[in-house]
Amino acid sequence: MSEQNALNLIAGYPEAAAAKLALEQNGSDFQEVRGEVGSTVVQLHPKRLALRVATIIEDTPSTRTLRLVAADGQALPPFQAGQYINLFVEIDGVHTARPYAISSSPVQRMHYDLTVKRARGGFVSHYLLDHVEVGQGFSSSGPMGTFHHNPLFHGDDLVFLAGGSGAAPARSILLNIFDRGLPQRLHMIYLNSHVDDVIFADELRELARRHEHFTLSEVISRPPAGYAGRSGRLNRSMLQELLGEIGNRMFYICGPTSFNDSCISLLGELGVARRRIRVEANGAPKAPDEQHGWPEGVSLDDEVQITVQGRGRFRSKVGEPLLNALERNGYFAENACRSGECSLCRVKLVAGSVFNPQEARLRTSDRDFGWIYSCVAFPTGDIEVLL
Amino acid sequence: MKHYDAVVIGAGNAGLTAATALQRGGSRTLLVERHNIPGGCATSFVRGNFEFEVALHQLSGLGTEEKPFVMRRFFEQLGVMDKVEFIQEHALYRLVVPGELDVTLPASWSGIRRLLQSMYPAESEAIERFMLVCEKVTLESFMTLPQASRANSEAMLRSMCPYYLQYGFRPAREVLDEFFADARLKNILATYWLYLGVAPSMLPFADLATMLYAYAVFKPWHIKGGSQAMSSALVESFLEAGGEVRFNCGVEQIHTADGRIRGVSLEGGERIACDAVVSNASPLITFNELLDLERPPAKIRQDFKSRRMGTSAFVIYLGLDCTPGELGVTSASSFIYETLDEEQIHARMGSLEPPLGGMLTCYNLEDPSAAPAGKSQVVLVCLQYGEVWKSVSPDRYAQTKYEFAEKLIAVIEKVYPKVRQYIEEVEVATPLTMMRYLNTPGGAIYGFQQSAQDSALLRERLDAVPGLYMAGAWTTMGGFQPTYMAGESTARAVLKQLKARKSEHV
Repeated sequence: MSEQNALNLIAGYPEAAAAKLALEQNGSDFQEVRGEVGSTVVQLHPKRLALRVATIIEDTPSTRTLRLVAADGQALPPFQAGQYINLFVEIDGVHTARPYAISSSPVQRMHYDLTVKRARGGFVSHYLLDHVEVGQGFSSSGPMGTFHHNPLFHGDDLVFLAGGSGAAPARSILLNIFDRGLPQRLHMIYLNSHVDDVIFADELRELARRHEHFTLSEVISRPPAGYAGRSGRLNRSMLQELLGEIGNRMFYICGPTSFNDSCISLLGELGVARRRIRVEANGAPKAPDEQHGWPEGVSLDDEVQITVQGRGRFRSKVGEPLLNALERNGYFAENACRSGECSLCRVKLVAGSVFNPQEARLRTSDRDFGWIYSCVAFPTGDIEVLL
Repeated sequence: MKHYDAVVIGAGNAGLTAATALQRGGSRTLLVERHNIPGGCATSFVRGNFEFEVALHQLSGLGTEEKPFVMRRFFEQLGVMDKVEFIQEHALYRLVVPGELDVTLPASWSGIRRLLQSMYPAESEAIERFMLVCEKVTLESFMTLPQASRANSEAMLRSMCPYYLQYGFRPAREVLDEFFADARLKNILATYWLYLGVAPSMLPFADLATMLYAYAVFKPWHIKGGSQAMSSALVESFLEAGGEVRFNCGVEQIHTADGRIRGVSLEGGERIACDAVVSNASPLITFNELLDLERPPAKIRQDFKSRRMGTSAFVIYLGLDCTPGELGVTSASSFIYETLDEEQIHARMGSLEPPLGGMLTCYNLEDPSAAPAGKSQVVLVCLQYGEVWKSVSPDRYAQTKYEFAEKLIAVIEKVYPKVRQYIEEVEVATPLTMMRYLNTPGGAIYGFQQSAQDSALLRERLDAVPGLYMAGAWTTMGGFQPTYMAGESTARAVLKQLKARKSEHV
């Protein structure tokens, strides 16, 4: 600053100017931290991971586990047991993705296990079970999701209600407890339809034998004749008997939607506060038309036209979630949870209307300004969207 | 190649107001944002039945409907005044040091005077004088100083800015010491430094005086639906004016030719031509990483050398299964500290040792819609520098985050003992979270450290590359009002220049 600077009249100004000059002498132009934001963030939250199938483990007749390693052979980002990655796939020219909970322990970071069960009428699960081979490459999101133990309020007394492949995050949570020697107790109530289709059966039973802090209660809903174990539908009295005193336990629920809904209501009946129940997201609802607010006279099979502003249009069905319809027609929207939670697939509804089911965790202002989460939005008529 | 008059990089507060003002000012504008949602800091996220405000604690500059201040007209001109609703807070803050001090300043200038004079009758006259100085310094800062400074006129400074000349640029601590004897009284008046993260010994008095006066007179506000509602309203206004926006789309490079801006390359490779780029990214990322020059211009590097990294924040977002009343909250904003030793608190901001205090904001105390019925949205904040968090290994990160959160909750619990037992949802953000979502070195939330050396009076515009403009906390004061305003004023400069260039070509 030159001597003519009138601001030098301001008390404290010359001192600040001198201090600034001193800083300049020993300061840096920050070239040394070039790229540091990117390289720091990517260690925890990469936008994409390049993965390769290292091993395929046949779990049950309906299920297999893909053991994925980093394509570059390095350690994968850390995750919290219970979290998922969104696996991108290309099937018959369609680019889509599905989120899968990681079933391996977060203590080792050289691979993520994704345990995939064949879904009835599934598209991606069939592909992953029938067509994926060792060595194949995949791209995925980084680990995400809020379905994990949170030490700030979950406590050490945990109950996991798993239905079928809901055992995947349960296994990771369990292994994390053992591998880290955590003080948590876990009671896993594990429901399956058939005795020959219990994922991780031997491993879980063995762990339950070895660890007094882990209790496994298996229930088979369609037992074979003469089955000696616990069987039937999970009802209030069975749950009461399995749980005993409710206390201040934290409950985790992961399974098919009907299983989740029934567990929530049974726990409510037993006096468990809703805030002590965590439920894993489960994709778009199969029957949005049964939810409150579904417009009268609109059927899931009705045809609608979807216009993507400035890019094109196509026909779809009311019952197909918008994101799936977009993908099937060659459009891409970023996505991860595909269950209405993460909001990555947020797009603007420019014209027409969609049904936002209860799964859509929209922000107040999203509703006000017409932004929708395409993964769980059902077009109830012709619509136009901005991608 | 697509061509726009201007490309705005980043949909933070300044990016949003810049883009909106540009498009409404007749310049074809493309707004690009790395994330899926606009706002930067001014955003929200949903967990369970709660929608959490990420960053806005008190919006300044609105004034009431009866006595409006600059921001009402400002938002009106950007076309968003009819798209958002504001909620007034009725206290500035409650300051608590358990066992020592517990005072709540009302959002009223005369109310503060009466309260402090009744608490400290011996300093009654000093309080009177101090408050006059705060008022005069604030008014001069906004009304006359810019003009006198531009004119570089000693005479104008003397006649139009007498209070600013005497007090404005001195350290706040020094001015407080000059007026008052009681240490507690000084702490009460200096509380807002805890918002800024610059200890009063380094903070220009005008920054403190302005906050105190402006919040008391023009009131602190929340936005219904959170600051996200304002961000989305600005995008709406921008789109209505014909602007184009792309989310989930970062900028990879800013291109120059013959020393001036030519365009940008987007994530995925698409190249866009444009005459001006407004960067709402930090100047460090803009010049050191995005710009296609080998090294930034010397003038820019020289400016960087006298800057120091600003503060980031550690934040706990709590969804509580109890009402504000059950929690014991009586004012929306509380500062809770174990000590008021400013230097000690400031030093602790750079370490993972237990924080000496923090701030609690309860959003649904004044706005019931900010939480589901019977519940509360509560946010705990303590400012932290990012440096120490960068050294936490990825393996230890989650654990470190929860351990530090425990420590902050432990401090807050001393005043609000029920805060832990009602937790229904919780999310924790560290300086690395800020780094992830704001893309700022050090996870800085207000840009460079806002000491006196950072003041605009000591700085020139970072305009060494014609057509490239900076807008955001890094080149102005941090916080909502300053960044909103910075974007709009940058847009005015761009519009002027674009117009000049167009007439050149005719």
